[in-house]
Amino acid sequence: MIFSELYSAYYNTVAAILSHILAGERSERELQRLVTEHAFGESALSLLPALKSGRWQLVHPDMTTPLLHTPTMPLTTLQKQWLKAISLDPRVKLFGVSFPALEGVEPLFTAADYCVYDKYGDGDPFEDEEYIRQFRTVLSAIRQKAQISFEMCNRKGKSVRLRCRPLRLEYSEKDDKFRFITAGRRRGATVNLARIKDCALYTGNKHAPLAVREPVYDTLSVRITDERNAMERFMLHFAHFEKQAERIDGAHYLVHIRYDREDETELVIRILSFGPLVEVLGSERFRQLIIQRLKQQYACGIQ
Amino acid sequence: MSAYSELIKSFEKIRAYIRDFYLYGFKSREEYRVKSARSYDDERRRLESWLGDHMRFVRTPEGKNVFISIDSRTVKHNPLYNAWKAKSFTDGDITLHFILFDILYTPSVKRSVAELLEEIDGHYLSGFESPLVFDESTLRKKLKEYCEAGLLATVKEGRRIYYHRQEDTDLSALGDLLHYFSEVAPCGVIGSFLLDKEGVADSDTFSFKHHYITGSIDSGVLAALFSAMREKRAVSVSNTSPHKDLPRRLLLVPLRILISAQSGRQHLLAYLPSQNAFLSYRIDYLSSVKPEAAEPRFDALREELERLQRHAWGVNIKRSRQGARPLEHVEFTVRVEEGEKYIVKRLLREKRIGEVTQTDERTYRFSADVYDTGELIPWIRTFLCRIVRLHFSNRTVENRFKQDVEAMYALYGIGKEASE
Repeated sequence: MIFSELYSAYYNTVAAILSHILAGERSERELQRLVTEHAFGESALSLLPALKSGRWQLVHPDMTTPLLHTPTMPLTTLQKQWLKAISLDPRVKLFGVSFPALEGVEPLFTAADYCVYDKYGDGDPFEDEEYIRQFRTVLSAIRQKAQISFEMCNRKGKSVRLRCRPLRLEYSEKDDKFRFITAGRRRGATVNLARIKDCALYTGNKHAPLAVREPVYDTLSVRITDERNAMERFMLHFAHFEKQAERIDGAHYLVHIRYDREDETELVIRILSFGPLVEVLGSERFRQLIIQRLKQQYACGIQ
Repeated sequence: MSAYSELIKSFEKIRAYIRDFYLYGFKSREEYRVKSARSYDDERRRLESWLGDHMRFVRTPEGKNVFISIDSRTVKHNPLYNAWKAKSFTDGDITLHFILFDILYTPSVKRSVAELLEEIDGHYLSGFESPLVFDESTLRKKLKEYCEAGLLATVKEGRRIYYHRQEDTDLSALGDLLHYFSEVAPCGVIGSFLLDKEGVADSDTFSFKHHYITGSIDSGVLAALFSAMREKRAVSVSNTSPHKDLPRRLLLVPLRILISAQSGRQHLLAYLPSQNAFLSYRIDYLSSVKPEAAEPRFDALREELERLQRHAWGVNIKRSRQGARPLEHVEFTVRVEEGEKYIVKRLLREKRIGEVTQTDERTYRFSADVYDTGELIPWIRTFLCRIVRLHFSNRTVENRFKQDVEAMYALYGIGKEASE
């Protein structure tokens, strides 16, 4: 069962508190910090009082504990089953780690049990040896805060050697691709991992500039006509953005979406997919992008 | 009336609130009062405690609207996982939990029930002013629960049963891997539980684009369906359609979960024995999954499903008791100007089934035979600005498509200039 106190923030927090007490750390401030770090916003109101008052008989009033060992708990069968399922995923090879022994454990699911049916067909070659090597090099550079140098084709199709410091790997489930976000590159701050070649940790003495591209956000405002379940479809489709919705009347809604300007073209396409049930109200620039496409379509006609 | 607690006993109620606050967020408190004002206030307060700044509110003429707003590209971990970590427990549960694992601190330590009781009372609780009392039956119940969860095991020596903990598992090298899969794999919340364990280094190596986190609140249903599929079993399940007031209890054979990377929706493809039909169900509408009898035809049903899926664009497979519905033909042609080869690439990478054919120097045609033309419409619309020809065997859908395009022209005042 997934919903169990065994996995709860409270159990984890109490384990951390008991570990600290066993290590001789009993200051109120430190214990409060543990609650803030491991539990929820209001947990401090209930968690420490429950321990101190003896409701949970694990800590004496003098802040000692009858426990003798740092609290640990083995993995549950459910956790092992999920790990086993993950161990069967081809992307595991990217990480180059050996899995704990899970003999006799049945996977929670296998590739036959589920399918991501609408991801794009040109996903990254996760099992390609060269790709795996480059993934690990980038991962290692991120961990070490080091630079890498690599080759890739520029816009003119010419192979160039580049140097940068990767900050993190960004994965898109829709594209089924990894990109790495870099510091120190004015153009192309995001690089598709599958497009680079001959990637290595940079050992030279040139420093990488630390400037990171700050996203430029814009707000898209749309009016939704709630026919054919459009409102629910729209809100699900754009669920991964920061957004705010308000009802205009029984059949119409106003939704504001905050988006990174870099993703504007993709957003235009996604808005078009909703047809006449979603009208762009602003920004005017975004509305003009839609109008421009529709004018081109008008000129095409449809036979 | 019980006092408020940020912990909860059942997930089902909060699942509905999260969906409402996250997906819609335009309902005012007054609308929730249909259920219970106190319940609304408690659930809202819990979510504020679990989700912090992701909970927002806005004042409207209808009142205060509370909503959850998360840019999932900028968060390291799915914040909705916190809801799964808020299960309530009793004072006895938590006390016994830590004492048990302290006594059984390594797999080589074995204790009988009598020995455990003696140590609990004698060493652990005796120093408290009013010690909790754990009787034998309570202890046995907890031990049984932990054996079933896989935390403890038993050995029999003579006539006595001894309990010991299972071997620990070293996860220290898996921080990055767990971070990645806890966000992208089904039931990723279990990966999040593993990341919470002591000794697993949290990682900030990854971020996620086009990342739908809503499905995580359905992980309980998903895990139960996966278990049934592993055991090749039927299940009974409650299906709450938004168009009906009361949930329907269904007996079905779960065959496959379909996950959309473009909308975050999750569907169950299942065989419904009562109608001899293959149907799809929204996972977020399902609840109370109970395992039923083993289904001897499971493998054959899955094979048939695979055959049907070859002509499915989305989740509609449409095989009813009358057999599979006739296929519908869909084709559309787009114009690709010089320097727009990326459009051809788009067609090729985004098509899930069907063919892309170059018809002349400037045009490319997509064609496919599918069960439900309607499922392709949103995708075809993304090519608006270059569609030159359209042919659907389902004329109703084709006419609707063309009417919709006309409606879009009207919406944005296009074509007026020409007609004026």
